[in-house]
Amino acid sequence: MRRLGLLMVALVLAACTAADPVGAPQEGAGGEAVTELRLAIGGESEDGYDPTLGWGRYGSPLFQSTLLARDAELNVVNDLATGYEVSDDGLVYTVAIRDDAVFSDGEPVTAADVAYTFNAAAEQGGLTDVTVLESAQATDDTTVELRLSEPQSTFVNRMITLGIVPEHAHGDGYGRDPVGSGPYVLERWDEGQQLIVTANPDYYGEQPVFERLVFQFTDEDGNLAAARAGEVQVAVVPPALAAGDIDGMRLVSVESVDNRGILFPYRPSTGETDPDGNPIGNEVTSDLAMRQAINVAVDREALVEGILEGAGSPATGPVDGLPWYNADSAIAYADPDRAAELLAEGGWEDTDGDGLLDKDGTAAAFTVLYPADDSVRQGLALAVVDMLAPLGIEVTPEGASFDEIEPRMHTTPVVFGWGSHDQTEMYNLYHSKMGGTDFYNAGYFADSQVDTNLDLAMGATDLEEANAFWQAAQLDGDGYGFTAKAEAGWAWLVNLDHLYYVDECLDIGSPQVEPHGHGYPITAGITSWRWTC
Amino acid sequence: MLAGRLAGRAARLAVLLAAVAVACFALMEASPVDPVDAYVGAEAARIGPEQRALIAERFGLDDPPLVRFGLWAGRVVRGDLGTSMIFNAPVTQVIASRFAASLALMASAWLLSGALGFGLGILAALTRRSALDRAIRVGAYTLASAPTFWVGLLLLTVFAVTLGWAPVCCATDIGSDPATASLGERLRHLALPAATLSIAGVAPIALHTRAQAVSILDSDFVTFARAQGERGGGLVRHRVLRNAAVPAVLLQFASLSELFGGSVLAETVFSYPGLGQATVQAGLRGDVPLLLGIALFTTVFVFTGNLLGDTTHHLLDPRLRSTSRRRAGRSRAVEVHT
Repeated sequence: MRRLGLLMVALVLAACTAADPVGAPQEGAGGEAVTELRLAIGGESEDGYDPTLGWGRYGSPLFQSTLLARDAELNVVNDLATGYEVSDDGLVYTVAIRDDAVFSDGEPVTAADVAYTFNAAAEQGGLTDVTVLESAQATDDTTVELRLSEPQSTFVNRMITLGIVPEHAHGDGYGRDPVGSGPYVLERWDEGQQLIVTANPDYYGEQPVFERLVFQFTDEDGNLAAARAGEVQVAVVPPALAAGDIDGMRLVSVESVDNRGILFPYRPSTGETDPDGNPIGNEVTSDLAMRQAINVAVDREALVEGILEGAGSPATGPVDGLPWYNADSAIAYADPDRAAELLAEGGWEDTDGDGLLDKDGTAAAFTVLYPADDSVRQGLALAVVDMLAPLGIEVTPEGASFDEIEPRMHTTPVVFGWGSHDQTEMYNLYHSKMGGTDFYNAGYFADSQVDTNLDLAMGATDLEEANAFWQAAQLDGDGYGFTAKAEAGWAWLVNLDHLYYVDECLDIGSPQVEPHGHGYPITAGITSWRWTC
Repeated sequence: MLAGRLAGRAARLAVLLAAVAVACFALMEASPVDPVDAYVGAEAARIGPEQRALIAERFGLDDPPLVRFGLWAGRVVRGDLGTSMIFNAPVTQVIASRFAASLALMASAWLLSGALGFGLGILAALTRRSALDRAIRVGAYTLASAPTFWVGLLLLTVFAVTLGWAPVCCATDIGSDPATASLGERLRHLALPAATLSIAGVAPIALHTRAQAVSILDSDFVTFARAQGERGGGLVRHRVLRNAAVPAVLLQFASLSELFGGSVLAETVFSYPGLGQATVQAGLRGDVPLLLGIALFTTVFVFTGNLLGDTTHHLLDPRLRSTSRRRAGRSRAVEVHT
């Protein structure tokens, strides 16, 4: 026993003596310029930092620069490009690029590199979908032509997110040794632990204030502990852990379209199956009055307060707050009386006195699936059960894994979460031709007017025009649309707020409305962050 | 004789590797995890069917399982373990870099549990039926029944979160080059995971050593030595230690497999970027090449451990050097205990 005691003492001593900060703290005392930031916001790209495999789809691509970018209001602005034109048929994008950009290895960025990047991304099996690109070709040193196989207004999102890689230095090891024309260059990456980047002196844009960024890849508890210890200037924090002040840090809440909603199977069950043989259809949720009534009944403010602890906002659709959001599609909710009226008008009544509504012999009862490891979605599902019970609708919540959910999602409502700056997501969730394709339109939603508007938006050659059609798909002037006032394909519940502890001295500007994914997206504006002390 | 034994061992290892590979591949095929779904994750609404096909092609998933296994096995024979889907890097490279991080952790935990277990076992035997002996035995039973992850969480909560003495993550301090990390810094990061991992190994060694030491202390030759006036440290050093070490050494080498399993849990709890963490990810995300690579590597590792155990046992106990038959019998008997 004495040995054990001695050993414990030795261990403890070793821990104590070494506990003084080893890394020199970067806090500038007395107004010294602060040039290093430490961030505990995740964002490790395990398969490397190669844009042609999907790096840079959220937040700052750090090492590379993109043709276009989104500003804080999500407007599309030029970055590497000086302008672009779309042919009348929507098939050819002609992009002019600046002539003063160089890669971090000193080589100039040419139109040939841009063409190479797009062609490579189109062929690679990565997390950026550029399959619509037929070919990209440089017509001179600063002009590139991107030819599409079909019109796709959302292609602009590829120009916004696809970082340009150098043709001469792009190969198998690129993801671990990225060369680009972005604001930062890689100093070191210790996989699973940290990423250190330093400012790129050759960057064509404004030099970032912070010369060195250290991203630490810790879990939630580690992030919080690092923030408490003053070791990081930005830390991502889940709402459940956000209670309590941290000295020298403020809690920043960033709006997002990181939404949660219930997918309704839209078709009645007729014995149809998807190509894999999984059944399609639900007799209860295929009823329009039922879907609208659920939307009207659910008290989203209560969900935000009760489940998200205030860190969120009520959701009305899949694209709330984005430039292509249609504010007219918002409904009045938390109104059980109106919901009851809708149900009565739709023919739902309790004919057999069992407390449950029924219609044509079908009882108003269904299951709602949620991913069992997600406590927020579980909470939402359980709360909705309680909100619908008084109406005579019996909802059974059931946790499952995505592998179990997938074969059942055409027949059973599911609590899903989406949210993207790419309108493709809205198109895929609601276009009838996407019915049953992977996780797209899993409920087989189908409305010809919605299809028309989505197709018009996709085929538009002008972003303003496209936005108008995207808004019409949500709700058009004639009252058609996929949102709750019309077809009510989903019951969108909440948008999460993304919470960060940020050093009181750090000004992060006004962050973008963030997409699905809490953490790294906050870096979208990182080059304009300022130190204010 | 020696060459023949080595060839026999090598053949056994080859059969074992083949069996492990087949079993592991079959399990991964039967698992509901779809590697493409796992890779796409939250991008699911933006990655179209054509892009999914490209991903499947890059991962080499577009052939039927038997063809894939055949291709994989063919490459393995030539020394190529394939490319990890998650890390987009050669499997050998992933294993090498992760194992380098795990090695320090496993080695320190292994030495710690061996030394501690052996010391406590001897101590308990020498103070047989005293309060100290009882305390050691109760302690050993408690440790043996405490799950590694639970011990890890407990240590993490007390020492890292509440007291703030130890770092909550990683193998070295954040923000600096790990190659320049001082020994103190490394130890500070290593202390909690190593302690967690060693705890599981202490109990069996202590209990077996105690039992063995007790029987030696009761033996005729110790009685004879006592009768000749040998006492205390000398008696322990000359008569007991070497004999009592036999089960401890065998157990210690046999425990390499448990050490490996324990490291999966300990590394996950302490965000320690070693092979254990990579194993968990490979399993959860259906990274077949990486998981198979790790399985083969682990097999070789554990096999070598057992081989070393046998060899060391051989060196410790001169009686075994004459006949190999008895050696095999003895080591099998001990394996049954574990």
